[in-house]
Amino acid sequence: MKSPEVAADVPVPGLDLDAIREFGPFRAYAQDVRVDSGVIPDKQVKTHCCFCGQQCGIELKVKGNTIIGIEPRYDFPFNRGMLCPKGVKRYLQQAHPDRLLSAYAKDSNAPSGFRRLPYEEAIRRVADEIQRIQTAHGPNAFAVLSGASLTTEKTYLMGKFAHMCLRTSNIDYNGRLCMVSAGAGNKKAFGVDRAANPWSDILETDVVLVAGANVAECAPITTNYIWQARERGAKVIVVDPRITPLARTADLFLPVKPGRDTALFNGILQLMIENDWLDHDFIARHTVGFEALAREVRAWTPQRTAEVTGVAERSIRRAAELWGTAKSSFLMHARGIEHHSHGVHNVLSTINIVLASGRIGRRGSGYATITGQANGQGGREHGQKCDQLPGGRELANPEHRAYIAGLWNMEPDELPQPGVDAYEIMRKAHAGEIRGLLSICFNPVVSLPDNNFVRAALEKLEFFVTIDFFMSETSRYADVVLPGSLQEEDEGTVTQVEGRIIRINKAVECPGDAREDWRIIQDLARALGRERGFTFQSPGEIFEELRVASKGGICDYSGVTYENIEKHDGVFWPCPSETPAGIPATSAQGTLRLFEPDSWNPIARGAGPFYFPDGKARFNVTPYVGPAEDVDADYPVILTTGRVVSQFLSGNQTRRIGPLVDHYPEPRVELHPKLAARLGIAHGDWTTLRSRRGTLTVRASVVSTIRPDTVFVPYHWGGRKSVNQLTISAQDAISKIPEFKVCAVNVVKADGPPEYATQLEPQQ
Amino acid sequence: MTREVTRALGWASAVTAGLALLILLGSRKLEHFDAALVAYTFSIVFATFGLTYRYTMWLSRPPTALYWRRGWQAFLLGGHRLRNARSWFARVTLDVLLNRFILRRDRLRGLTHLLIMWGCTLAVAITFPLVFGWLHFGPVPGNLSMYQAVVFGFVAFRFPHDSWVAFLLFHGLVWASFLVIAGVMLAMRRRMREEGAGAVQRFAEDFMPLLLLFAVSVTGLMLTASYTWMRGYGFTFISLLHACTVIGTFVWLPFGKFFHVFQRPAQLGVSFYKDMGRLGDKAHCRRCGHAFSSRMHVLDLIAVERQLGFKYEIPGSPAEHYQWVCPPCRRASFAVAQGLLWRDQRGGAPLSQTHEPQAMPAQANPGLGSGPLGPEDAENFHP
Amino acid sequence: MPVPETREFFLDASRCIGCQSCVQACAECDTHKGQSMIQLDYVDRSRSTQTLPVICMHCDSPTCAEVCPADAIKRTEDGVVQTARKPRCIACNNCVLACPFGVPKMNTRMNLMMKCDMCYDRTSVGLKPMRASVCPSQALAFGTREEIAALRPGARPVNTFQFGAQTIRTKVNVLVPKAAANEIIDVTAAMYEPPLGRDLLDDMSEPGRSPA
Ligand code: SF4
Ligand code: SF4
Ligand code: SF4
Repeated sequence: MKSPEVAADVPVPGLDLDAIREFGPFRAYAQDVRVDSGVIPDKQVKTHCCFCGQQCGIELKVKGNTIIGIEPRYDFPFNRGMLCPKGVKRYLQQAHPDRLLSAYAKDSNAPSGFRRLPYEEAIRRVADEIQRIQTAHGPNAFAVLSGASLTTEKTYLMGKFAHMCLRTSNIDYNGRLCMVSAGAGNKKAFGVDRAANPWSDILETDVVLVAGANVAECAPITTNYIWQARERGAKVIVVDPRITPLARTADLFLPVKPGRDTALFNGILQLMIENDWLDHDFIARHTVGFEALAREVRAWTPQRTAEVTGVAERSIRRAAELWGTAKSSFLMHARGIEHHSHGVHNVLSTINIVLASGRIGRRGSGYATITGQANGQGGREHGQKCDQLPGGRELANPEHRAYIAGLWNMEPDELPQPGVDAYEIMRKAHAGEIRGLLSICFNPVVSLPDNNFVRAALEKLEFFVTIDFFMSETSRYADVVLPGSLQEEDEGTVTQVEGRIIRINKAVECPGDAREDWRIIQDLARALGRERGFTFQSPGEIFEELRVASKGGICDYSGVTYENIEKHDGVFWPCPSETPAGIPATSAQGTLRLFEPDSWNPIARGAGPFYFPDGKARFNVTPYVGPAEDVDADYPVILTTGRVVSQFLSGNQTRRIGPLVDHYPEPRVELHPKLAARLGIAHGDWTTLRSRRGTLTVRASVVSTIRPDTVFVPYHWGGRKSVNQLTISAQDAISKIPEFKVCAVNVVKADGPPEYATQLEPQQ
Repeated sequence: MTREVTRALGWASAVTAGLALLILLGSRKLEHFDAALVAYTFSIVFATFGLTYRYTMWLSRPPTALYWRRGWQAFLLGGHRLRNARSWFARVTLDVLLNRFILRRDRLRGLTHLLIMWGCTLAVAITFPLVFGWLHFGPVPGNLSMYQAVVFGFVAFRFPHDSWVAFLLFHGLVWASFLVIAGVMLAMRRRMREEGAGAVQRFAEDFMPLLLLFAVSVTGLMLTASYTWMRGYGFTFISLLHACTVIGTFVWLPFGKFFHVFQRPAQLGVSFYKDMGRLGDKAHCRRCGHAFSSRMHVLDLIAVERQLGFKYEIPGSPAEHYQWVCPPCRRASFAVAQGLLWRDQRGGAPLSQTHEPQAMPAQANPGLGSGPLGPEDAENFHP
Repeated sequence: MPVPETREFFLDASRCIGCQSCVQACAECDTHKGQSMIQLDYVDRSRSTQTLPVICMHCDSPTCAEVCPADAIKRTEDGVVQTARKPRCIACNNCVLACPFGVPKMNTRMNLMMKCDMCYDRTSVGLKPMRASVCPSQALAFGTREEIAALRPGARPVNTFQFGAQTIRTKVNVLVPKAAANEIIDVTAAMYEPPLGRDLLDDMSEPGRSPA
């Protein structure tokens, strides 16, 4: 066996014991005022959970400047009082002992590697470095990484800051690891990127197809929607390499081999065509491109599909029949089919079977991708993507440039050209092309694939600044860390999974030197001497500008007001403030459902329901291409990654919440008893996984709920517990999403416990 | 009248008679008996009857009877007596005298309980002997500056009437009422303040005893105030009031919350029973095969359940009696039974049998406060 | 004093997805903050993701109360079996071992049995028990019979259980399919039955092929 090809200069993640001692992660449990049942809260603030794109309504109970507990919002229509464990315990992240209360600067003399810095001095220093780097190496030498857990106001401001203040092309966001395949697929097929239906449509559907989404753990509230549909007799089909809790009692389970989703859906479409389970009328009137697609999928006979996907032929036939003959249906997918080097094709292949069935744009029938992050939807709309301007506009489109430049009071030519994606930013940093980086709401050291490379890239930066509320694994590489705000310390809006814009309300003040992220960004603009356009006094003011910026764009927020959001429990975009004569005004609640037969949109202008000039949806030819790295003799097992219900993304927050850590303390590798038996691994054994990029040793969890050719490790941990040491940085050609869901590894029983086992607490 | 009632009445009469006899003896045929206290005496005699009756009734419940017997057996177990005596002292000191387990439930609650408990104990220790005529104070004949304490008719010790000993002794009840009042205040505060406590409390069960204690202490203090500073103003009325509250408390004793004072020591028996259980065989669950609890405890419970009329026998099953199934397997069986009913409506099928015995269910979250609440739980739920 | 409660608990364990919201929410309850009273287990995680949420069923004649030597467990007039009275419970473990549903927990350090109270503190002020509210699968549901009938047209509540020769009726309901003939759920009959799940190999195209 070849040993992993780790470049000699790649730093092996250290145990960072001193940094951990000072900054955690440590676990917080409810104590003192939080367990004193005699304490009456000063106020209860209506807001939303900060984790995951479903954005359940909750109320935070506040005493002084501490959140002492939560109460679900029984009246919020999406969750009606339901919450997952993260929502129940999210309050423990506030008033946390690990909270950053001041700015920090790297200091090799300090044991933890950092010393405190007065806030003003920190801002000065960051501005000077930006100035220096941009003067010496051009504006693009300084890059910005942002995130989709920020409020939409902040994401707008980040885009504006990069494009207008820094004039750098290089801004991208962590949705690059999350929503972009779905986004690109939706744009290609529908011309717009939003869940086509509100979740209430799931309740009325006959067939629910869930592809690559561990709904029970990653979008728990959606479970009830699916179960309620089943109460009415709906059939549930689950496509996943693991028997997820939803799959256990699903009506049909297709244990697809990771990376073969396009083949599966092509095969299903072929069966639909063969059996004429098509809506010819819909195809003819509302779509283009079916013939080409039909030619392409002809080769996908059930036998071949079964062979490639690893799913029993009879199950594929049954799936096609259930789907093909349904009266109404709802298809949803998530990262399981999107995190691939051909993620956009996977997405398009599912959209193809939706369009072929004609079941979209009506009550009880539809399609959606399940957003992952808190603002996974809103965060991808208003200009923090490398090629994007607010309102879902394009940085490469002259008209769009002109509109935004006008609003921002600058020449269109002064706007930078489209930049590169988040991973490419790392590559450019590694290559020395990008020399400075500002990162907010992003923990690439944990969340990017092949993160040994990411570490090396960060080490090469001349200057790296992060805005963080806890010292994340990434911030430990920063030269300056600025203390930002938690979700509950600021207000604004986010757009949740259904495309519903909702209000985040401020419950407590930022502690110590910490302040709202938008203030920090504006302080930087001021220190740079370019404060024009960065003098907002509140998120509300940013939102007002955002409304104008999005006006006329696809993601049109111009008719949305904070008041209407409160009044209607959210507003669905598009919600234009005005429509052309003869077109009924959009209701105050916005557009619940997209693509309704007679709907109007600014692209089609009445030609049809879809967002193309002809109003028609596009079938896309989706040839099957295997994963970038397939198994071979040296690395014979497929590694796939994902989440557990108690943790959120890189765990910077949830690994600090004690009861959630207890729930699933440390990463484990799931493997099938057959595989385990062959490798001589027993449940609980320390097991080493090696890929061409790195090594990981974790305990084995021997369960027969996973394909025998695949192993699974959740990705929420950092350092030596991070499975992203192994994953591959191969990216989708269109969306640039990395292939988190497939790479080849070699699995052996470890000689003994890894070094971290005795030195670190489980969450560290 | 059932046998238990007859027996309980018998015991109650006997113990009450015994007390009466002691009063006669201790007060030298009522020679030292303070006639003003006769109402108090009667209320205590009544309480004694009531308490004994209730205690005997309580002991005749099958589970209590069994624990009573087993507790003593365990305590007197050959070869362990010395160790048992030692741990008896430790447990009495820590749990009974120092309220360790209550302090662990909540520090403030522990303090509350300590205050009330020691206040009452002090008061009882002073008043009962006085009321029964077992103890009385009087001037030393011929020496007006000296006082003497007479116990059961014998002079116990003497002290000058203006000494601090005298001050402490004569104001003993004042100190006691301070402790009790502080405790009652804390308890009231908690009951008013905490939503949780507020929801489950009942007036008779939870407030009544506090009110009674409060009334006794306050009227007692008023008495002291009256004769110390107010030249006996309203003394007769206050003493009547005080008498009423005290008598009320005693009469209430066998019925209300105060009964726990007599019940609680059973905890000691339980701890010895558990010690004995640990020495013996383990029970093995007849579903998953893992050890849980002690075999003795399971056998005892089977006997108790039979006496109570439960029919947990499972005819024709290898388990024989449901008590041989551990708590996690009970939960699993319950959920599996429900799940199986849905087998044709929802997806999934019964998995093929590969385990013999059945797999052991595992707590989903073994973390603090989420899974087992202590080592004992962990044992029963075999981690 | 509690308002008359017309809402009841309805348990449908087979909907459970094991997310532990209930566990985490239960520990938020004011009467036992920081400690969860719910029991959530994996039947057999090595083969199935099935989880079982079990809460106190509030039996009509509660075994836990009857076997309690200290008389610490009381049943209210409206059928709620309350957790042990703190002054009385002597931590003997009888209730833990005897409860037919395996519900009570024992807090050894505090010498106290603890179990679900049906969130007396919340229901008495009109709130739902938090763990039933939060449950994302609504395996634990709380509502009136009418509400549940509307939400679960295919199901029917049953509250009688068989354990060997013993029949137990409870205040808490379990949902069974409308089509099922059972009026009684026989728990001990299912004791040696395998759990419901699926064998992944059945749905694979070449289960025989070795993974390498
Ligand atoms: S993480 Fe998602 S599902 Fe869980 S409570 Fe928060 S918003 Fe709801
Ligand atoms: S379910 Fe168990 S704990 Fe609850 S009342 Fe019945 S016997 Fe008691
Ligand atoms: S909250 Fe509901 S779905 Fe989650 S573990 Fe509890 S019962 Fe199961």
